[in-house]
Amino acid sequence: MAQLTISDVTLSFGGLKALSDVNMTIEPGLITSIIGPNGAGKTSMLNCISGFYHPTRGDIFYKDKKLTHASPHEVSNMGIARAFQNLELFSGLSVLDNLLLARHQNLKYGFLEAVVFYGKASRIEAENRAYVEDIIDFMELEPYRKSLVGNLSYGVQKKVEVARAMTLAPDILLLDEPMAGMNQEEKEDIVRFVMDIQKERQITVVLVEHDLGVVMDISDRIYVLDFGELIGSGTPEEVAGNPKVIEAYIGEG
Amino acid sequence: MSANSWLATGNFHTTYKHEQNTFYTSLDRSVFTFFLILLFAWPIFYPLSNKYMLVTDNILIAIVAVMGLNLVTGFAGLISIGHAAFVGIGAYTVASFCRTLGADHVMVTHFWPVLIIFSGLFGAFFGALVGLPALRLKHLYLAIATLSFQMIFQWVINFMSFFNQGQTISVGRAFWLTGEIGRNQHYVFWYYIILTIVVLLGFGVRNLMKTRYGRCLIAVRDNDRAADAMGMNPGLTKVYAFALAGFFAGVAGALHAYLYRGVGFDSFTLKISVSYLAMAIVGGLGTLNGSFWGPVAIKLLDLQVEHLSEVAKQYLPSAMNVATALKPFTFGLVIVLFLMFEPRGIANWWRITKSYTKLWPFRY
Repeated sequence: MAQLTISDVTLSFGGLKALSDVNMTIEPGLITSIIGPNGAGKTSMLNCISGFYHPTRGDIFYKDKKLTHASPHEVSNMGIARAFQNLELFSGLSVLDNLLLARHQNLKYGFLEAVVFYGKASRIEAENRAYVEDIIDFMELEPYRKSLVGNLSYGVQKKVEVARAMTLAPDILLLDEPMAGMNQEEKEDIVRFVMDIQKERQITVVLVEHDLGVVMDISDRIYVLDFGELIGSGTPEEVAGNPKVIEAYIGEG
Repeated sequence: MSANSWLATGNFHTTYKHEQNTFYTSLDRSVFTFFLILLFAWPIFYPLSNKYMLVTDNILIAIVAVMGLNLVTGFAGLISIGHAAFVGIGAYTVASFCRTLGADHVMVTHFWPVLIIFSGLFGAFFGALVGLPALRLKHLYLAIATLSFQMIFQWVINFMSFFNQGQTISVGRAFWLTGEIGRNQHYVFWYYIILTIVVLLGFGVRNLMKTRYGRCLIAVRDNDRAADAMGMNPGLTKVYAFALAGFFAGVAGALHAYLYRGVGFDSFTLKISVSYLAMAIVGGLGTLNGSFWGPVAIKLLDLQVEHLSEVAKQYLPSAMNVATALKPFTFGLVIVLFLMFEPRGIANWWRITKSYTKLWPFRY
């Protein structure tokens, strides 16, 4: 049973087709990668899943629920979290506050309880803090806990971005180029985290990434997009041997 | 085990509950308590004339209003140029009761706490209504939408005979357990009531900012795209921010009506809206203590300018109306200077002072 089903999704902006009739199935507990040259529609695909774009045609199902026209907060409340490619952090807040913010929907107490801040609200906030601390521990962000996100280095900010998506306690984690613009060491770090997320936390990972070496190493399944069309899919070996994929990447030989 | 609960040094949070505390050290807590007792006690030992008591009450009411404005403009980042209109909604809620039931009806004179809360809720309702454009509009365009609300409010009050076409609608004297509040105790009585409300609301905001209902405001201000992806409904959050501001404004308006024992259109014009915004900026946007510094600074400045022009009058020809010219001039100057040299407001000075005294006698 596929966790996420994308059937015949077409996304067009006026005359431009960003995605045309794309079919994908994301299996639970695996790392699924979406690759393709620049402008292939990878980020558009993620935007469609996470609700920032709505497909012109076709449907997206999460288990049995249809989320074709759901808005981003509805999608994230269903259990699909997303980390952005261009950092979309709350840069004026500390790392801790960024993560606490992501717990929004998981906190169940009323407005008046919040104003009084005694008993329930206080207890839940303390538990919440402990939960966030667990994520900080997992993502090794301890040294930066109280520092402003805007002042951190790019690599660390990327890590905070992933951590924030993790804090939503998702079933599926969508990562949009988590390794872009990082050096080798930071890249290896993130790869380790992605694998830990899948293995330790049993979270399905959907990865959009340019670094083919990384993608081939860690993916269980790969989808290749080119000019909005799906040109190949399968295990890393199958994709690497696919002549269409080779053509898209290297050009006609 | 903590070293010495009076000092910040050597004390670490050992539980997450402890980290939630408003005051970290016993020193913080006792200084605050002492200050609070001082605020409640000084009218007994140092009675002011009615004129100055009125100024003091006025400052406190402005604090309530600016706290609300700070929530919507400071924390949620939505510029509201119609805040005086929300305050007006609160005041005119009380006025409508006076118009329909009579100024000395029991509802007005005896059940004023109920009426104040009701005015707040009514203000919140209008706040949410005006906040609806926030679902679509952003930044400057939203500011214009709130400006149009201000205009609609002024127009409605000016033309409806129910509201006495903007002329004063009188409000009856309030009753306390001891009976009717007479002319002599009026300002002192309302000083205590408003001060209590300010303290309660202040703690309310402080608590709110520690919870999801406060954090979502900041999230929407900093990055509403990311807030959406984090499971918050940005549109709803913005409407909620306006409703919160409306509540504070409504309460402030009702207090204004009772304090002046009348509601007139002059106190809720665009000029007042702008001055609320100025108080929020001078105090420090997006800080709780800024909502206290701003009104105090601007209102006291007003008072001093008035004194100065009284003195200047003796030396200048009477044709030159110094007071009229000097007030807007200093007001404008202060805002420009703050925007240029301290955009983070007086709250930033407070922050600097606090961190300095914390480390003293060391530099860092």
